[in-house]
Amino acid sequence: MQVRPVDPAAQVSIEPSALRDALTFLRDEGFDFLVFVTALDRPAEGVIELVYRLFSYAARVPVVVRVRVPRDGGRVPSVCDLYRTAEWHERETAELFGVEFSGHPDPRRLLLPDDLEGYPLRKDFTHPNLKPLPEVSAE
Amino acid sequence: MSEAPAPDLSTSDEFLLNVGPQHPATHGVLRVVVTMDGEVVKDLQPHIGYVHRGLEKLFENRLYEQIIPYTDRTDYLSAIANNWAYVSAVERLLGLEIPKKVEYIRVLMAELNRINSHLLWLAAYGLDMGAFTPFLYAFRDREEITVMVEEASGGRLTTNYFRIGGFTRDLPASFFPHLQKFLRRFGRAVDELDTLLVENAIFVARTRGVGVISRERAISYGMTGPCLRASDAPLDVRREMPYSIYPSLDFEIPAGRNGDTWDRSWVRIEEMRQSLRILRQAAEGFPEGEHRVRVPRNLEPPAGEVYSAVEGPRGEVGFWVVSEGGRKPYRVKMRKPSFSNFSALPEILRGLKIADLVAVMGSLDLVVPEIDR
Amino acid sequence: MQSTLHRLLYDTGTLVDGWRAAAHAGWGWPSFAVDALFQLGWAVAAALFLALNALFIIWFERKVAARMQLRRGPNRVGPFGLLQTLADTGKLLIKEDIIPSAADRAVFRAAPFVVLAATFLLFVVLPFGRGLVAADLNVGVVYFLAVGGISVVGILAGGWASNNKYSLMGGMRSAAQIVSYEVPAVLAVLSVALLAGSLRMGDIVRAQPSYGYILLQPVGFLLFLVASNAEINRGPFDLPESDSELVSGFVTEYSAMRFAFFFLAEYTNLFLAAAFATTLFLGGWRGPLLPPVAWFLIKSYLVVFVLIWIRWTYPRLRVDHLMELSWKVLLPLALLNLLVTAVLVKVL
Repeated sequence: MQVRPVDPAAQVSIEPSALRDALTFLRDEGFDFLVFVTALDRPAEGVIELVYRLFSYAARVPVVVRVRVPRDGGRVPSVCDLYRTAEWHERETAELFGVEFSGHPDPRRLLLPDDLEGYPLRKDFTHPNLKPLPEVSAE
Repeated sequence: MSEAPAPDLSTSDEFLLNVGPQHPATHGVLRVVVTMDGEVVKDLQPHIGYVHRGLEKLFENRLYEQIIPYTDRTDYLSAIANNWAYVSAVERLLGLEIPKKVEYIRVLMAELNRINSHLLWLAAYGLDMGAFTPFLYAFRDREEITVMVEEASGGRLTTNYFRIGGFTRDLPASFFPHLQKFLRRFGRAVDELDTLLVENAIFVARTRGVGVISRERAISYGMTGPCLRASDAPLDVRREMPYSIYPSLDFEIPAGRNGDTWDRSWVRIEEMRQSLRILRQAAEGFPEGEHRVRVPRNLEPPAGEVYSAVEGPRGEVGFWVVSEGGRKPYRVKMRKPSFSNFSALPEILRGLKIADLVAVMGSLDLVVPEIDR
Repeated sequence: MQSTLHRLLYDTGTLVDGWRAAAHAGWGWPSFAVDALFQLGWAVAAALFLALNALFIIWFERKVAARMQLRRGPNRVGPFGLLQTLADTGKLLIKEDIIPSAADRAVFRAAPFVVLAATFLLFVVLPFGRGLVAADLNVGVVYFLAVGGISVVGILAGGWASNNKYSLMGGMRSAAQIVSYEVPAVLAVLSVALLAGSLRMGDIVRAQPSYGYILLQPVGFLLFLVASNAEINRGPFDLPESDSELVSGFVTEYSAMRFAFFFLAEYTNLFLAAAFATTLFLGGWRGPLLPPVAWFLIKSYLVVFVLIWIRWTYPRLRVDHLMELSWKVLLPLALLNLLVTAVLVKVL
């Protein structure tokens, strides 16, 4: 399903294998600020879509790079050496969505307790303590 | 949170110092495990997640309007900025045209919030450094602002004031006289606090040249806000990705020269002065008009995604909202400044003395719930 | 012959000497016993003063600090909160006395008393009024400085015996700080002794012009004030007990009455430092109209006020800055001051 972006940022979708080259190119072109790294869970299509938002201070232009990986065993290369901020963003995304960032120097859990099983931000995440909200009526 | 690799205890002087999660100087519930060699910090392992509430997951099960109070509580000291970032994201999804008056009110509240947050930073920082008096002076000044904010929004700290489309109520009649009184007085109060703490010789000795980070590294670590600007980088969301009426307002972006702890402190003092300038202009040019745009009761933004950022007191606060139609968002990602600022701490502190830990951490102005969400 | 009350207030020395001479002659006791009794009397008076002073000075600090911080300070317990300290002391007394299991019990128990004893002994040479001094030793100044240094032993002992790395670090830092700041303090005092031509406290007070030595030794006074502030571990120099960095330093493991002793010693030291400064630089008990003891107390508490003011205004110095200040700034200044004083004394 295509999302219609309301954002002025250019959207670029690439293959996982091209991620490092793409980000290296963008960084060298002046996109020095990695705003965030996160993901979207798309269970209907069986993919997790990683989203990297970059910004160029010089040109004042944002760009969004999207990478789709399978929900099971999805893996992309880490970009910690290109952007130091990626270290923590990748750790968080990995533990919340279950994506592996290969080559990450310190892939420990960041926010979640060690004993939590499952990937909380996936749409099919369940936990005995998770209780659904009562449904909101239309009025 | 798993443990960091243990220090090499065979080489005599190395030992682990655990700072937190309960410690007066960490400004929140976080833990820093420092590997020390005598007095010198060899390595630093931050441990976060003590305040992780799973807000992003929570939002996927809330109506768009219901999310607004939660945004206050991510960073309770800059509730307005958080409100604004989220609300403006949803408004862009809806394609709303925001009336001028709403923008002016938003700017007034945001700048008051910025001053409030910086005053609290100064108070707590002074306390860490052993100066007890600036705390009380800063809180006296904060009280004036808090009263104004409460008049307008009903809340002193977690304001929950912004709504999608504007505000539920216009500013009360008592707001502007209070604001004028505040504007007349506060300039001198900033100077007083400046002289008392930031220009104090002992403070300068403890902070100048301490905890330097270069501009390139700061940007690479995703630092924003005063922490970035101290490293000779006058970059501010209000200028880089302008929003609201800021393009028409006249103000400067203060930037430090060396990227050390003192510069980070100085930048915040200067920002308070610049906020005063903005407040004066906004108060003078305050227009007539509607205080909101009507939106449907059942808010269902069309499918789309948007990232909306504002300049909060700590840096760039952004909300990335993905809608697939429906009354609840599909995904909300919160981009918080303290998260990235804190990740730079190991690099800044490596090689410094343990006594500098308190000074440097205070200068980053961290708010832990924002880091953990 | 003026009334006894007048003499008690204005000329205590000769009055007490008269009593002692009468006792020696009339009581039939061996002379050492008479002297011992009189010294016991001085000790009791000093102990009483120590207790009352602590009560007052803690209240004073809290009130002054509060007003500087736009607050009121204690005002519920007793009129103007005057009984607050009494209440706090009572609370400390009834607290559980906790001794860490791995601590060295004997040293742990002894440490607060060493510090308090060192402080108490300083009252021996302090001239509260004309002759109102327990023993005006001819090396009074040296005695004061030397005995004051004994408290370092107590602090180190307390820090070490607690068997806690924070306490140890705190204790060692305190000791290093006190020892380093002794040197400029001694040199400042020496300059005064040069001017007065004597080491006896009473002589120094009498030798001063009516406005005190402060105008003749402004640098010396400042040096002494800063150095004393550091020696009593107060104000901008309280890193050893800074709770945001090292919990409470050497005092961490102490609770209840033992903690109260350290606390008491700290505040008494505050008074003693101010009193010493008054004696050396402000003319001691001299002044018109009022009884000498009143002048002494007024001037001392004025200096206490200044020290309180300093503490609540400035942030804390970092440990290496603290040392640098002592060795690289105060010491050269003190030496220079001494040199200039010596030359001027010879020439003029």
